[in-house]
Amino acid sequence: MMNNNQMLNRPSEQVSALAHSFEHGLEIGQHYVELLTKLAKTEDAHELLEAVNDLVNLDLEDAFVKFPQHYQTTDYYLLLMVRLLEMHSNSELNVTEDPTSHLFYATISSLGEKVLFHFVKDQDGNVGFTDVNDNEPLFSLNIEHQMLRFNNKNLINYFIVKGLKKYSDLDLRSTIKPLLLFAQALHDDLDFVIDRGILGTSNQQHYDLSQPELSLTVIDRLFVSTAETDYMLFNLPKNNGAELRLDRDVNLDLSFDPDDYSQQWFFSVNDPDNQISFFDLLLHYQLIRDWYLSNREELAVKSDPLIFADDQIDENESTDEVEDD
Amino acid sequence: MANSGHEQAAHDVSGIINQRISEKITFLHQIEEAVKEHQDRKIYQLLDNQRYAKEIEHREQQPNNQGVMSLVDDITNYLSNFLSVNLINYLGKKYPFFYYEEYETGHYRIYFGNWWDRRQFGELDVLNIRFLFNDDEYGKLKKTFELAHDNKRFNSDKIDKISAENDRLQDLIDHQREREEKRSKLQEQLKNVSSRSGIWESNKNKESRQNLVDALQKLEEEEEESRTAAQTIKDNEQVVLSLSKENTILSYEQKSILDTFGSFEDFELANRNLYASYIKSLSDYQEKQVTDDEQ
Repeated sequence: MMNNNQMLNRPSEQVSALAHSFEHGLEIGQHYVELLTKLAKTEDAHELLEAVNDLVNLDLEDAFVKFPQHYQTTDYYLLLMVRLLEMHSNSELNVTEDPTSHLFYATISSLGEKVLFHFVKDQDGNVGFTDVNDNEPLFSLNIEHQMLRFNNKNLINYFIVKGLKKYSDLDLRSTIKPLLLFAQALHDDLDFVIDRGILGTSNQQHYDLSQPELSLTVIDRLFVSTAETDYMLFNLPKNNGAELRLDRDVNLDLSFDPDDYSQQWFFSVNDPDNQISFFDLLLHYQLIRDWYLSNREELAVKSDPLIFADDQIDENESTDEVEDD
Repeated sequence: MANSGHEQAAHDVSGIINQRISEKITFLHQIEEAVKEHQDRKIYQLLDNQRYAKEIEHREQQPNNQGVMSLVDDITNYLSNFLSVNLINYLGKKYPFFYYEEYETGHYRIYFGNWWDRRQFGELDVLNIRFLFNDDEYGKLKKTFELAHDNKRFNSDKIDKISAENDRLQDLIDHQREREEKRSKLQEQLKNVSSRSGIWESNKNKESRQNLVDALQKLEEEEEESRTAAQTIKDNEQVVLSLSKENTILSYEQKSILDTFGSFEDFELANRNLYASYIKSLSDYQEKQVTDDEQ
């Protein structure tokens, strides 16, 4: 019997071993090409997600066959987003490749060509969709756990605090649209669990405050501000909070469940068509916006991070001042 | 003679008694019947015939028969409760901004509005169909309407005054450094001036020394005040908030009255006519009109 060493000493065997090694590398490459093609062309949401998932986890490292590093894993998420929106005939999100870095960026029509978005990885194993200058993800995504959650604190910072300085409320509303559609598509086509946070429009939705107690002085301030407007602030029948009556039968309530011992305060928005979110009210009503922002410490809405570990950290919307650009 | 006169008198007396008793019985029967049928108009007529005759039938000088009316004195609370159902229902439509709380049987507090902060505005006198507004609260509202002509609010002046005071206090806080610098300068000057004092101190020198001492004293007072200014500002803000709250409540009340009545004068007119308006809205009044017309 010959030992391995002897066997590899024979040239034909050596060549054949090398060829075999190349073969494996090429197989990886072949698979890579198939996945990229699928990512680019498939019209099936499940196939698309599968391709993204495989690409994200694909290890291109091979000792014998080197592939030029072309895309970051976070690029695949951007492609998932734009392809899924394409499938739903939405073209408000555009993805372009930077010619030098080969990184992908997304732009949203209503914000123009200069505002760039991308995905970033966070320490919890999710990716977050954020303005490249911010790193304050508007939503976090985890395709392994099939979940998407909007971040209330970052939405308010990005759109309400900063965005309104440069854009109209209608432009910002349009910016939200493709993001919500993406979330909806993930839910409808791919069974993702999604949490729209303050973008949710159901009348039943409660936006819990992160502070355990609320001083009624804060509501007094809103009451006083209404004197200069056409809107009125009413007491709820069970003395469990206040109701701001706005246009077209839209009401914003800040209340607690009188039967609930914990007296958890929450916002809720009631409108006849279940189409208006708390975010919309912040965006459209200066009265509410000014009041919320000047009492943000007390009124901050909970903003749960996307964490799947057992040891959940309770990290609520912080009250840090947002720096203006 | 005397006897028969007495008999005559006795006969008269029993006649009077019979008549009075019969009146009382009739009255009580009528009340009983009206309550049974919930004929509120009839009850109101029985309870105050004089007013009813005057305001509804336009017949003056119909005295009330106190002798029969006092029979229900001990059940007025229940009658009030009984009559309140229809009255409050009616008021709910005509005065949609008033809310009532029965704090004891037949007694009703009026609240103006159901907004975040509201005022207790007086009481509802169900038996006499009238509002007994709290003079203070009513006065504030009346004043609010007057001030509105000058685009002013009830507490505007007070709020402006406190806000100006807060600006002054904030200024004190903001200029602490300048004060410090000024003080060392003044102290330096005082040292120079003092070195020239003594028995032969000139009047001029004396005067400028006094001026420096006064200026330093004033600075010291400002410094003292600035130490507590932050707290005072906070306290003042609390006062401004409660004054603003009162302004807001009054503006809501004003808005409600304008929405419903068009003007404060029309609101007052409606209050004066409330008795007649209400009686005429009652269903047994309408029925009575019909039967009267048929006759």
